[in-house]
Amino acid sequence: MTAAMNVEEYLARGGVLTAPENAPARYRAMLMQMMATFVDSELAASAGFADAINLAPGIKERIAASRITLEKADHAGRVLAVMETFGTDALRYQSQHDWAARVARDTDLGSSRLAGDMRLSVFHYPIAGWVDAVVMNVLQGIATGVQMTELTRVSYGPLADVFRDIAPREARHAELGLEGLERIVATGAGRDAAQAALAYWRPRVAATFGLAGSTRFAALRALGLRHCPNEDLLARWETLAADRLAAIGL
Amino acid sequence: MARFHPLKVTDVRRETRDAVVVTLAPGDEDRALFDFTQGQYLTFRRIFGGEELRRSYSICSGRDDGVLRVGIKRVEGGAFSTWANEALAPGDVLEAMPPTGRFHAPVDPGAARHYLAFAAGSGITPVLSIIRTVLVREPKSRFTLVYANRQISSIMFREELEDLKNQHLGRLSVIHILKHEAQEIDLFTGRIDAAKVEALLSGWIDASTVDTAFICGPEPMMLDIAASLRAHGLSDAQIRFELFATGQPGHTRPRPAASVPVAPGTGILATVTLDGTTRSVAMSGKGQTILEAALAAEMDAPYSCRAGVCSTCRCKVLQGEAEMRVNHALEDYEVRAGYVLSCQAVPLGDRVVVTYDE
Repeated sequence: MTAAMNVEEYLARGGVLTAPENAPARYRAMLMQMMATFVDSELAASAGFADAINLAPGIKERIAASRITLEKADHAGRVLAVMETFGTDALRYQSQHDWAARVARDTDLGSSRLAGDMRLSVFHYPIAGWVDAVVMNVLQGIATGVQMTELTRVSYGPLADVFRDIAPREARHAELGLEGLERIVATGAGRDAAQAALAYWRPRVAATFGLAGSTRFAALRALGLRHCPNEDLLARWETLAADRLAAIGL
Repeated sequence: MARFHPLKVTDVRRETRDAVVVTLAPGDEDRALFDFTQGQYLTFRRIFGGEELRRSYSICSGRDDGVLRVGIKRVEGGAFSTWANEALAPGDVLEAMPPTGRFHAPVDPGAARHYLAFAAGSGITPVLSIIRTVLVREPKSRFTLVYANRQISSIMFREELEDLKNQHLGRLSVIHILKHEAQEIDLFTGRIDAAKVEALLSGWIDASTVDTAFICGPEPMMLDIAASLRAHGLSDAQIRFELFATGQPGHTRPRPAASVPVAPGTGILATVTLDGTTRSVAMSGKGQTILEAALAAEMDAPYSCRAGVCSTCRCKVLQGEAEMRVNHALEDYEVRAGYVLSCQAVPLGDRVVVTYDE
């Protein structure tokens, strides 16, 4: 056949891996971290939204919050199943942390993670009331939509498949948030509360995109685990969020 | 964690000079475990020279064939494949993990799809499983196979493919590309590269009719084919890859002799290699783990759970010894090969040499 090519070169040129056995050590480690970050973030998000169910003002909102709680846990389970093929003890993993644990509301974590688990920093902050939950879900939901354009292209085929399945449902979560927010801003008091929540969550969601000029990004890109730099993703999120919010008068 | 189960060899058929097709039967209690999906593979283990080797081979039978069958092509210097080709016989028992792999597309009995597959050499094995399954389970779908080999005599499943063509008239077409044999059409001679794929997609195969494409072969071929398919409008979700197992080493590599600079009276020292850079890290000795020491020295060592559960922090001990407090993720054979979970590993002596790069 054709001449042999090493796996790193194959990945750098856009190749896709399909089995744990083919993953070189550093690729394996970076992929595992990426998956753990997603699993931990989804579990923390689900745990956070579980509380929001009881904050919901009506049945429609209650169902939306329940659905988000359910599906985020389901998405965590699907990615954890891929980790399991690399040796992770899935049963122990999911009970490893208190996913509902939160820091004090006024803590500033920046983009750093806490020692406990790998969730994105934004999922360490507590939700304060229904409007706050909806706004957080809108901003983070739009951010997830932007991140999905990266994750669905990841060079580990079985994981990219999972993300392609998940992406439309995650997009729906953001839509549910926007629908809820539209009802909230119909009143003056609702609009004020939404503005205050936006001011709180905007910098915290922005921080999840990581640092500009990240050296880690270069290493991830060489392995086909990332494609678009942090700063570009952040800019896309800022534009998208501004457009979507402007459409409902915010 | 997946476990190994015995499979009895019921038939070994010589397919080509250097490939055999092995039929396997699980015990009654394991039958459900080995109920496979088309395109999946089995991982076998066997001891060679006191060392456990694990090798994965794709299933080549279809879901409705009622048998479990794998194709094993002899790899130059490969201990497992050579043994399977020379010594494996009916009555032998192989140990295998249940089928795994996602090289398939969901079957829809009512669908009328056009599947396109590219296979090189033994890359045909999972593709054959997919073809056999789809032709039976999707009666309105059709399949185009582009199949690359050195010469006619090295083509695996040549007759079987002919039989399938006759059995499912008009639904399976096969284009053989032969490296060393001239054919009536020049395009079908040589190797599959970007130019050849482009020519095939321009003149022989209408990419706009293709619903899903499968590619199984060596890396450069897969890249060329995927790039051409994308250029002809297929999305990433429509292109399914299965990488050849060529990347797997035939034997566990001997441990490289890393030299540890030993300065007397310096306490416990860990030498850590990460991304090709090696650093010596002083350890506190109070139960500090290798991961903690590497992180304290500001090395970007990988980790996630820090509880011995996820295996993100796996590294290999090259010299010295380290003991794990808990291990819920590494299998015995990995531990025997020297791997440890660095979030749980504490050096037993004054010196330990580890790498995150192997």
